[in-house]
Amino acid sequence: MFKNEEMEINMGPQHPSTHGVLRLKLKLDGEVVTQCRPVIGYLHRGVEKICENKTFFQGQVWTDRMDYTSAVANNLGWAEAVEKLFGVTVPRRAQYIRTMLTEFNRLASHLIWLATHALDIGAMTVFLYTFREREAILDLFEAFCGARLTTTAFRIGGLREDLPPGFEKMVRTFLARFPDCIEEYESLLTENRIWKKRTIGIGKLSAEDAIAMGVTGPVLRAAGVAYDIRKAFPYAAYAEMDFEIPTRTEADTYARYQVRLAEMRQSTRIIQQCLDGLPEGPVMAKLPKVLRSEVNEVYHPTECPKGELGYYLVGEKGSTNPYRFHVRAPGFINLQALPMMVKGSLVADVIATIGTLDVVLGEIDR
Amino acid sequence: MANDESPYVYDLAGAPNHQVVMPKTVPLPSLKTYLEEQAAAVAADEAKWAKAQADFEAAKAKAEADGKDAPKPPVRAVPRPDTNDMKFPAPAPATDPDLLYLQSVLGAKVEEAFQQAGELTCQVDKSAILEILTLCRDDRALGYEMLADETATHYPAAKDFAFAVVYHLTSIRRCKRLRLRILVPEGFEPESAVAVYPTANWLEREIWDMLGIRFQNHPDMTRILCPEDWEGHPLRKEYPTLGLGQRDIDFREDRSGVLMRIAMEKAGNLGINIKPPKAE
Repeated sequence: MFKNEEMEINMGPQHPSTHGVLRLKLKLDGEVVTQCRPVIGYLHRGVEKICENKTFFQGQVWTDRMDYTSAVANNLGWAEAVEKLFGVTVPRRAQYIRTMLTEFNRLASHLIWLATHALDIGAMTVFLYTFREREAILDLFEAFCGARLTTTAFRIGGLREDLPPGFEKMVRTFLARFPDCIEEYESLLTENRIWKKRTIGIGKLSAEDAIAMGVTGPVLRAAGVAYDIRKAFPYAAYAEMDFEIPTRTEADTYARYQVRLAEMRQSTRIIQQCLDGLPEGPVMAKLPKVLRSEVNEVYHPTECPKGELGYYLVGEKGSTNPYRFHVRAPGFINLQALPMMVKGSLVADVIATIGTLDVVLGEIDR
Repeated sequence: MANDESPYVYDLAGAPNHQVVMPKTVPLPSLKTYLEEQAAAVAADEAKWAKAQADFEAAKAKAEADGKDAPKPPVRAVPRPDTNDMKFPAPAPATDPDLLYLQSVLGAKVEEAFQQAGELTCQVDKSAILEILTLCRDDRALGYEMLADETATHYPAAKDFAFAVVYHLTSIRRCKRLRLRILVPEGFEPESAVAVYPTANWLEREIWDMLGIRFQNHPDMTRILCPEDWEGHPLRKEYPTLGLGQRDIDFREDRSGVLMRIAMEKAGNLGINIKPPKAE
């Protein structure tokens, strides 16, 4: 009557909860996952190869298209990696504006994560609230650089333009409103019984496992490791900012939710400090028209909303394009821990776990 | 069609997009090469100046003998002052305690250690990489718990190696980073780092997929981003950016079939897989 054999099913690549085109080969014993093998590469465009054949200025455009929910943070990593390769000193005002916009991007990315994660689990309402604030942030990006999603916000050596008139007022209006908005999301989810039931104790990943698997970002911090590249290896203007690294020790999906919400509060603090302490001066360093590199290699890590985003660049003497470009995408490494996290859990919890990793297939497949 | 019998064979030579410019230099960052190049540049400059002076002396002697006016003495060129906010981070000898410690512990296994742009680089013996990674992770003085990144670079112009595999290690406790590098010839299979750092699993699969370096004792040495049956390894320098797998499809209305025929001809030139429609 009852069959006891294991069943193998495909989740994705055309599954709405896999956040793009992720395919999971699941082996099920009834409702319990016994084995999980992620299959990726459906969105592979060869960004690394393309950038090796483009100049340093053109390469930045491709970084927008990797993690499209945090294009500004990707741009910052690229600009800083190239600046490190050439030894460029960036003006302080440009550093502050970069930091501010990157933190806005962190907010936008966490908002879209919260929306889709809650939507996957079944809380539809949060989506409508978070997208309201994300819209305001995208308006800020639009006012700054004209684009909303694929921003190409920065230039190598600084910024193309200073802040537009009225930008400061827009930011202050947003900052006055935003803490209440976080309260609103919390009122919808934090004490919600269904939300707690679906997230507490789900997708656990201990600190030792997380470090062994190279997992970074909120997933690592929710396991109790206070590792944030903004503090550990400060870049842009983060060394001058006063903020905390929120951590939890439960290492489950609920803890990651709390860490990300706390991070959003810290981001608003950083934005406030950037705005208040914005130094005067130029926003662009003096650079030659054509950048020709020397033999050098850099690995520049930045704290992307998803984790450690590292750009590895090798320069060839007299060349205008990188000899080798490699992206250490946070999603790629974090997704590797998924089989470990879902083993022994229910199929429905796989969806919650994918959501909590905050994967974007654009950067995983590159 | 390049090959009438099997339309699924790429005509690589016939395709205009397959012009790949191979690199002529080996941009492997190294303190030794840098110092050699600097010394060579200084020597070349000195030789040029000595030649200019000798020429001047000869011309002067000749002018005196002929009873003409003496020629102008040569002027040594002064480099133009650089007003850019840019200073090339030149490689410097190892002074960081971690690099010195590695040198003292590993001895001859460290081929080169230097610092550049604030980053520590340690080039080590390729056959001892697993042992060195274990040391970096477990030694109390080093304590690099996390492998942040592993990747490789193709150097087709180099003589005694083809790839440089780099490991970027992170110490969360000490807030430090270290780059280990091994130089690998074509066909050599380095020891897999999965036993020490499980992160390396997908990273090494990606290296195999993109550059074609296989790793020994890797639990799952399969392609990861490209399909299993993909031809070639895309991040090698001989791999073209355009052409492979590219299709030329025209969606305009084509009642007489002329456009299709042109497309077929073009496809033949490019060596692209479009099958001719079968006559009913």
